[in-house]
Amino acid sequence: MFKTTIRNLMAHRVRLLAAALSVVLGVALMAGTFVLTDTVGAAFDELYASVGVGTDAVVRADHAVEGQGEVQRPPVDAALADQLRSVPGVARIEGTVQGYAQFVGRDGKAIGRPGQGPPTLGLNWPSDPRLNPFTLVDGRAPDAPDQMVIDRASARTGGFALGDTVTVLTKDAPRSMVVVGIVTFGGADSPLGASIALFTTTTAQALVGTPGRFDGFSVVAAPGTDQETLVANLRRVLPPGTEAITGAAATAEQQAASRKGLAFFSTFLLAFALIAMFVGSFIIANSFAITVAQRTRELGLLRALGAGRAQVRRAVLAEAAVLGSVASAVGVGAGIGAALGLEALLNAAGFEVPARGLVLQPRSLVAAGVVGWLVTLASALLPARRAGRLSPVTALRDVDLDSTGGSRRRLVLGGAVTTIGLAVLGRGLVAGGDAAAGAVGLGAAVTFVGVAVLAPLLAPPVGRVIGAPLAAIGITGRLAQANGVRNPRRTAATASALMVGVALVACITVFAASGKASLDRVIDDSFRSDLVIDSGARGFGGLSPALATELARVPEVAEVVRVRLARAEVAGAPTMLVALDPAGASRVADVGVQQGAIEALDAHSIAVSTSAATAKGWHLGDTVPVTFASGRQDLRIVAVYANRNVAGDQFIAIAAQEAYDMRLLDAQLYLRYHPGADPAAARRAVDAATAAYPTASAQDLTGFKAERARPIDQMLALIYALLLLAVLIAVIGIANTTALSVHERTREIGLLRAVGMSRRQLRATVRKEAMIVALFGATLGLAVGVGFGWALVRALASQGITELRLPMAPLAVVVVLAGLSGLVAGAGPARRGARLDILRAVRSD
Amino acid sequence: MTLTTIVRPDADAAAAAVPASSAEAVMAIDARKTYGTGDAAVHALDGVTVGFGAGALTAIMGPSGSGKSTLLHCLAGLDTLTDGTVLLGGTDLGVLREKELTRVRRDRIGFVFQSFNLVPTLTAEENITLPLDLARRDVDQAWFDELVDVVGLRTRLGHRPAELSGGQQQRVAVARALVSRPEVVFADEPTGNLDSRAGAEVLALLRRAVREFGQTVVMVTHDAVAASYADRIVFLADGRTVGELIDPEPEAVLDQMKRISR
Repeated sequence: MFKTTIRNLMAHRVRLLAAALSVVLGVALMAGTFVLTDTVGAAFDELYASVGVGTDAVVRADHAVEGQGEVQRPPVDAALADQLRSVPGVARIEGTVQGYAQFVGRDGKAIGRPGQGPPTLGLNWPSDPRLNPFTLVDGRAPDAPDQMVIDRASARTGGFALGDTVTVLTKDAPRSMVVVGIVTFGGADSPLGASIALFTTTTAQALVGTPGRFDGFSVVAAPGTDQETLVANLRRVLPPGTEAITGAAATAEQQAASRKGLAFFSTFLLAFALIAMFVGSFIIANSFAITVAQRTRELGLLRALGAGRAQVRRAVLAEAAVLGSVASAVGVGAGIGAALGLEALLNAAGFEVPARGLVLQPRSLVAAGVVGWLVTLASALLPARRAGRLSPVTALRDVDLDSTGGSRRRLVLGGAVTTIGLAVLGRGLVAGGDAAAGAVGLGAAVTFVGVAVLAPLLAPPVGRVIGAPLAAIGITGRLAQANGVRNPRRTAATASALMVGVALVACITVFAASGKASLDRVIDDSFRSDLVIDSGARGFGGLSPALATELARVPEVAEVVRVRLARAEVAGAPTMLVALDPAGASRVADVGVQQGAIEALDAHSIAVSTSAATAKGWHLGDTVPVTFASGRQDLRIVAVYANRNVAGDQFIAIAAQEAYDMRLLDAQLYLRYHPGADPAAARRAVDAATAAYPTASAQDLTGFKAERARPIDQMLALIYALLLLAVLIAVIGIANTTALSVHERTREIGLLRAVGMSRRQLRATVRKEAMIVALFGATLGLAVGVGFGWALVRALASQGITELRLPMAPLAVVVVLAGLSGLVAGAGPARRGARLDILRAVRSD
Repeated sequence: MTLTTIVRPDADAAAAAVPASSAEAVMAIDARKTYGTGDAAVHALDGVTVGFGAGALTAIMGPSGSGKSTLLHCLAGLDTLTDGTVLLGGTDLGVLREKELTRVRRDRIGFVFQSFNLVPTLTAEENITLPLDLARRDVDQAWFDELVDVVGLRTRLGHRPAELSGGQQQRVAVARALVSRPEVVFADEPTGNLDSRAGAEVLALLRRAVREFGQTVVMVTHDAVAASYADRIVFLADGRTVGELIDPEPEAVLDQMKRISR
């Protein structure tokens, strides 16, 4: 039987090529993601291990707030070092300082975008080489307030050399520093692509830390003292609020943190690999269904000769198993190549991946291959079942391969599956949270399957309507219209693959447009300022407070309201807490105060939204427990407001932020002009003041809206790019089905050519047929996707997505592109059809 | 009706001398078609020179492998000769490029095949007007109506081929072959798949097209009864013309066939 299997596969290799290709592509993305994750993960593990090798213990504050993948601890008193120096086993102890510092390039623009890319860091230069993770490759250590050492990656991108004067942005006013040294980090030019400025300790404390304080201490053990003993000795004398961990534990923490960041990235890519495989499963199922249909007689003969149903079924499944193994193996190989591409992409995006060979972990490669194999096998199950059901008689009769595909059973089954899918999807959306993502994905997949089951019923009427304009133009369109829906089940299966990609594109298009509209709506409705200065920083970095001071001195400016972000846990929930200047807040943004007053906010109070208050049972005058990096504070509610889309569910005064969060960088500044001030003159004065701060870009509210929309558009572009793979697989499927149809219609094509159809007309007919199939898929996808988008927007209404937008132009573009992709998919089969020998068709044999 | 066709069993001798008579709708001059090379070469047509009179129904007969279908395909521009010339109303088909040949088939030739004559996805009406639609030419409604009445399919126009009987399908094919008023209609075993009654209907239709519309029809058949509908029969054997009959009777046809096959 195995020999038959191989022979069948070889005989139908062209027909199954598309199935194989779709497996290869899906497996390649999955394997590529695995390999990249393994490689980058191993690289960072080694990196952190090598740079942490001299540190035997770390002393730091024992409490922290976490949020958005970062851990924030309060600094400790520098004087603790003197106390610890005499602890037995301590050979050397040094304080560490780390904070925001960003270089300004020769063109006056800031280098790096810490809000979106790798961080831009300022640190103190460790004087003991054992505690210094950096390696000087040029120059020397800093020993004066105006000197710094920079990483080699920044030196390269900025074109900085030893002796150059470089402007550095910190929480202080921009200042010029002389580059006295260039370092590398482990084997890389910079850690994770972060830019590095190393100052003397005093300078670092002044610019990026807190004078008289350190983030923590690194300790070197005396010879003969192991890390555990050292830590035990330190713990005996540590004051409350501080802790000591071994150097090994500190390294493990860093490794775990980098793995976590990587896991987010790989989950994201894997989701798209799964989508690609899901789309591929339609192509696989369809390819096998077609080969089974074309082999009806052959399979019938097998049955007539005594093969049992199970044997016929197994024969088809065996083909799928072999095809799946080969395609998965090729896919894994391609994935290793893809990993190199992805790595190059990461490097191009500014994330320095330490140079290193690819890490090929057998278990990752096997996992990707097995998934591809299982998907192939599962996709062939239904066609195999159908093959097994063929009775010897029907198979031997010369039956019309075309089955109507329409039946009450299909309607009921498809309706039921669709309903179940929508129900699961709906539950996931309503539930919210991380766990719900799985339900949403599963629900969407089941819905797709349900619609695919219904699609054969929809194909004839919808296909006819889609083809009507073509049919009206000429005979090639008329023929294409008829051929497009000639085999409803085949058309439906082919179109369903494209439906998935189009639906996902339509869904996120609707979602993104609604998100942007909601942002615009908030800004239009609630924001009153004349200018907004947005640093783009979200939790790290920001604008030096010196800028707000300077702007306040501009004559045309009546008021500057500062906004900062503090990492905190409000009643136990991690959040980025907004902090602002209460005095002018109401004049630049309207949060719809219901009770109390924003102006009453001070270092001991908080404002909360009505929805948060209702959910938590808070009332005006109650206290809310808020944990900052520095510790827990009970803040009194002095205002309750309705509009949570401006500043979230709660916010505090900058006075409180400075007291408990202790970071001084501003995220945004809202400016109001004096009444009667000339806006153009005011704008010029503001621009002059911000000129020295390249991360500060002044925008009016219209510009601010555009600025806020940009990250959404960038995300959208990335998702489109990743969905392209799924669409590509679907288009391969269309090309495949069209080629098979052309192959089946050899005689009909010969007839058409004999009675005077030109090659050009024949090609047009085939291409238009493929286009109709593609447009049918796009129509289904658009309907499902807009539905999903609508559901998603409605579900997130409470999260601030208040507006529903159906962006007609982008959705129309999707349909047009789908149609064009059909034309492209049909081009190959069209050429082959046009080359067919007329005589083969008309010869009466 | 004068039939001026000269039949020369040894036609290769004087092929080039045959003039393109205006009375010949289509003719082959020293037509040769060879498959394969060297010892394996098969001469499907071995120097055939024959003309087919305008306004006549001519049948080509011969045993299997005589080259009659190959001759028809070459006359109709579906296949090309290895050597020799096909003239369609004075046009040398051999020098035409693929595109021009397609246009000739579309505008100047009509076809009726043995089977699979119709596009299954198109209605009877659409099948009939197919050559005109391909040419983007307007349908002459009066002519179309007349044809539909002649073939007797008025009530079946909206039906698809699968909903028509074999005889009805062939009648639709005849109507399609005639709709563009071609110079020649080629029919390749048009009754081969039909029962005798349906076959007779189709043959009567072709006969009528010749009589009433002055249509030129060239038909390949191996059926003596079908051939007896013709004004003239050209006999082929081993890729050569081996005789002809004018206004044949079925008995005479059978006699001739027996002679050839011997």
